[in-house]
Amino acid sequence: MTTTLEHATHAPSKGGGLARRQNFLTAMIGGVVFAWLGWFLSHHFLDSTSRNYNDLVTTSLAIGWIFGFWLGIGALNGPGRWLIGADHTRADDLYYAGENQGRARYWKYCTDHKVVGIQYIVMTAVLLGAGGILAMAIRTELIVPGNHFVNQQVYNGFVAVHGMLMILALIVAVAGPWANFVVPIMCGARDMAFPRLNALSLWTLVGAAGLLLSVLTVGSLTMGWVVLEPIADQAGVGMDLFAMSIIVFTVSTTVAGINTICTVMTMRTKGMTLARLPIFVWASMIAAALGLYAFPFFSLVESQTLMDRTFSTSFFVSSAGGTGWLQANLFWLMGHPEVYVILLPAVGALFEISSVMARKPVFSYRTAIAGMTGLASLSILVWAHHMFTTGWASTLGGPFMLTTELISIPTGLFFLVIIGTLWRGNIWMKLPTVWLFGFIFNFIIAGITGIYLSDIPIDNQLHGTMFVTAHFHYVFVGSVLFGAIAALAFWYPKVTGRYLDETMGRISFWLAFIGVQVTFLAMFISGLKGMPRRYSSYSMLFEHSNFVTTIGAYMIMAGMLVLLGAVVRSWSHGEPSGPNPWHANSLEWLVPTPPPLENFDVLPVITEDPYNYGEEMVQA
Amino acid sequence: MERSKAFGTALASILLGGGALALAGFALASAAPHQAALHCQETSPGNCTITISSYPDALAGEHGTTGGAHPDWVSYSNDNLVVPANTTVHMTIDQYDSGGALNNSFFSKVWLNGAPSTATYQFPSTNGSTYGKVQTLSGWDTNDIGHTFTLRGVPGNGTPIFVSVPLPADPSTNGSAVTIGSGQYAKPVIVNFTFKTGSKGVYEWNCEFPCGGSREGQFGYAMSSYGYMSGTLSVE
Amino acid sequence: MTDNKKKGSLQGMFWTWVVLTAISIAISLWAPGRFMPRSMSGSMHLTILTIVIFSVAASPVAAGVYAAMVHLLRHNIHRGNDVPEAAEPVRENAVLTTSWVLASTLLTVFLLVWGLGALSVDDGSNGSNPLVVNVTGQQWLWTFSYPGTNVTSPTLVLPEGRTVDFRITSEDITHGFWVANMGVQVDANAGTVTEIHTTPNKLGGFDIRCTQFCGLNHAFMVTTGNVVTPAQFSKWLATQSQLQKA
Repeated sequence: MTTTLEHATHAPSKGGGLARRQNFLTAMIGGVVFAWLGWFLSHHFLDSTSRNYNDLVTTSLAIGWIFGFWLGIGALNGPGRWLIGADHTRADDLYYAGENQGRARYWKYCTDHKVVGIQYIVMTAVLLGAGGILAMAIRTELIVPGNHFVNQQVYNGFVAVHGMLMILALIVAVAGPWANFVVPIMCGARDMAFPRLNALSLWTLVGAAGLLLSVLTVGSLTMGWVVLEPIADQAGVGMDLFAMSIIVFTVSTTVAGINTICTVMTMRTKGMTLARLPIFVWASMIAAALGLYAFPFFSLVESQTLMDRTFSTSFFVSSAGGTGWLQANLFWLMGHPEVYVILLPAVGALFEISSVMARKPVFSYRTAIAGMTGLASLSILVWAHHMFTTGWASTLGGPFMLTTELISIPTGLFFLVIIGTLWRGNIWMKLPTVWLFGFIFNFIIAGITGIYLSDIPIDNQLHGTMFVTAHFHYVFVGSVLFGAIAALAFWYPKVTGRYLDETMGRISFWLAFIGVQVTFLAMFISGLKGMPRRYSSYSMLFEHSNFVTTIGAYMIMAGMLVLLGAVVRSWSHGEPSGPNPWHANSLEWLVPTPPPLENFDVLPVITEDPYNYGEEMVQA
Repeated sequence: MERSKAFGTALASILLGGGALALAGFALASAAPHQAALHCQETSPGNCTITISSYPDALAGEHGTTGGAHPDWVSYSNDNLVVPANTTVHMTIDQYDSGGALNNSFFSKVWLNGAPSTATYQFPSTNGSTYGKVQTLSGWDTNDIGHTFTLRGVPGNGTPIFVSVPLPADPSTNGSAVTIGSGQYAKPVIVNFTFKTGSKGVYEWNCEFPCGGSREGQFGYAMSSYGYMSGTLSVE
Repeated sequence: MTDNKKKGSLQGMFWTWVVLTAISIAISLWAPGRFMPRSMSGSMHLTILTIVIFSVAASPVAAGVYAAMVHLLRHNIHRGNDVPEAAEPVRENAVLTTSWVLASTLLTVFLLVWGLGALSVDDGSNGSNPLVVNVTGQQWLWTFSYPGTNVTSPTLVLPEGRTVDFRITSEDITHGFWVANMGVQVDANAGTVTEIHTTPNKLGGFDIRCTQFCGLNHAFMVTTGNVVTPAQFSKWLATQSQLQKA
């Protein structure tokens, strides 16, 4: 490991052959060409009268797509060259890290973690935008009873794809941009442990997103994003594309998780003990570990669903000896830990923000770590609270109620740490702090309503109603999204050298904050009144609460549009911020803006944690 | 940015973004298929008649001359029915399809306005040349059903209506007796029944004979796609 | 901040907490009864009571966090355009952390005990001879049959005061059988039978809705039911039996 940069002299990249021309466009071309090849081969060699024909063809098409996409973007170049004995040279590595390529490197397979971080910001925006359009379509349909906007088949299709797009967006919303851009610098490293895998995780996400979006074009799905069996066996070919997009996505998230953990465990600079790490690094690592445990279940259960559909296996088809309950269990074994994979990076970023903005150390750093670890561990044991009303195993109701209610203890610790950090601080009320306060307000409501649902008698009444939907939207929109926007406002100056516009950011905040209360409080009322979820049309009983919910949704949309405008406008016209606008001490603020290619000229030596404000951070 | 510029950019973002979304919305709404409504024809005050058909494929015209995306799927002639409120509806269904066994024999019985009732049935002969007598029946053999017409209402949204009428399999084997659109069919089984509507509301009806291909329950494909085996009845 | 000011501001936070708790408790007592469907069984009554109890128990917690937020926003915001100076670096407070964990554990234990207690105390029956009703869900409607008779009905009629034992299955995929006014819900699964029971204790109409997304017309898989007197129920059963003889 080098402690100083090699200033090797090498010729700037010349024509360099086809491999050097690969970018997003060649990836799309590769994907389409190999998708066609998959379609052609399966179409030719398979019996078109077989019941599984359409599913086999679609699956072959999807496999072709992702293989061609990888080929086209250059993901296979590194391993390929190693296989033939012509491994990458240092000059190649620097080329792939985007040296001297200017803006073009953002469209390419670039291994520089900062480029990957920015690409993740764009992907998050794309996924949130697509999911948001579907959300607006859903709420527009539900503004009054009766079908007016689209018929129920189209509506039902929106529901599943909206759910999955938003889940994908939130899994990467904080971890994607900031675990990539900021965490290596916070550790004092030049890049991640496996830079090529980093680029792979991003571009695989792009490939998976392509598959997921294509679901909408083939008649979509008529089930929720949980794609329960046995109804998933009944769905059209959209289900095969959906399953393939998940299997591909799991590759992305597994690779990213391994990368994060290895970077934090092996690439910390001298003196950066685990106890001196910024708390955000801990949060990213714990979330990554939890994701490594959970996402393989998702890949497994979607593979089994695919096999049921393409090879007529009977994992989940009860008429052939299987059971849908197996699918539900495997799914939720992933599904519950996954929501904490989504939450922890956002909470970690908020810990960081509360410390910097209150000019005080993180209160009870050790409790924060214990809380996050406890949450992650407990989350492995709670999954069947999603299945209380399935009739699967009523004797397990009590134990799962116990584990689920226990989770409120580590969750409560987050409030202790954040409020403890802010307490008696000199709170700097800038944009990140504003969103932090919004998070605190919303997260209490999210947590408490979760406790209602963990109680079986209450769940017997409220399961499958809009109460559940309102609860998890308070978590995902009210808490995680607010945390992700706080993180964006916080680290935006590091990425661009400019502040995210304060005024537009506040307009966006108030629209979103008030919108969240209006939308989801009214949705709680719909649920209490008895409106089930995923209903394309509803009884007059729920007319008023739905109308109010839709108005609130339009407010949130307005807020998000203003935020998008702020991000775009501030990128090139925002107020310049300098390299350390928040006067913070973690390593990312001590490097120039934008950080140079390998972050540090000379790797720093650390002697204390970054939470001593009022003193300069000491470097050897 | 000074505040006025910030406010201006914010407003511009909302308007531009909102406009783009509205466009996307219009595109979505017009892409979703809606068949033209079939109105019940008034015959005398408080009475009207309406006739639909059920076919073994989608070639009879409502999905286009080539049968649309799925010409081989079973279909009803109309999926968008409009009847007046507080009226006795006289419905005729011409059933052109073959059949088999229901998965729930409940649907082999005639139910009108929430109570067991009767409907009239007229069957073509096996060679399709003549029709038998009109029979008044309270149900049909559960193993010989072609489709069902099952209509129900959403409580809280108009008067609840429950109608379920079994449509027997067509016994005629003369498959080219009738040409409708680009399809050729045997002479149909003619089923007549009446039910009453109350106040305004929107109801869904669908066929309850699952024949849709998937392993579990056979409610996939045509059964799960709007415009084939299910539709809307609007009481206005 | 001077000691008096500190004391004054903490007092302010305390009263904010009291007021917010009171408002929250008032909402907790009012909202469930106002919005939830009319209770028609003991199970539903217990469910509504549990929601009220949990809301009241959660009120001081939520109010505490909100009062702290209000306090911070009133007293700890740095005014001015310069960078705020460092605040006193308090890294640990063992007493606070321990009492916080203890308090949240106690609250959790209370909720757990209530929940488990509610589960074991109420098994939905009142000791009477249960009426068995077979519920069949299929895309997209519910049918109910009464074993021992030939009666099958698309609407659910039940006698008041007699425990009803629902045996639920599906002809195709998974549906969610939910009697909205009686607080009972369980999935209808193909190939197996699930059971729940409850005892209707009020007369009148109620709604049954499907709560497990089941495809195209999931939103229309709704039907009505009626709780009638035992005499009316016997009469209805006999009439239906005659009508359905064919």
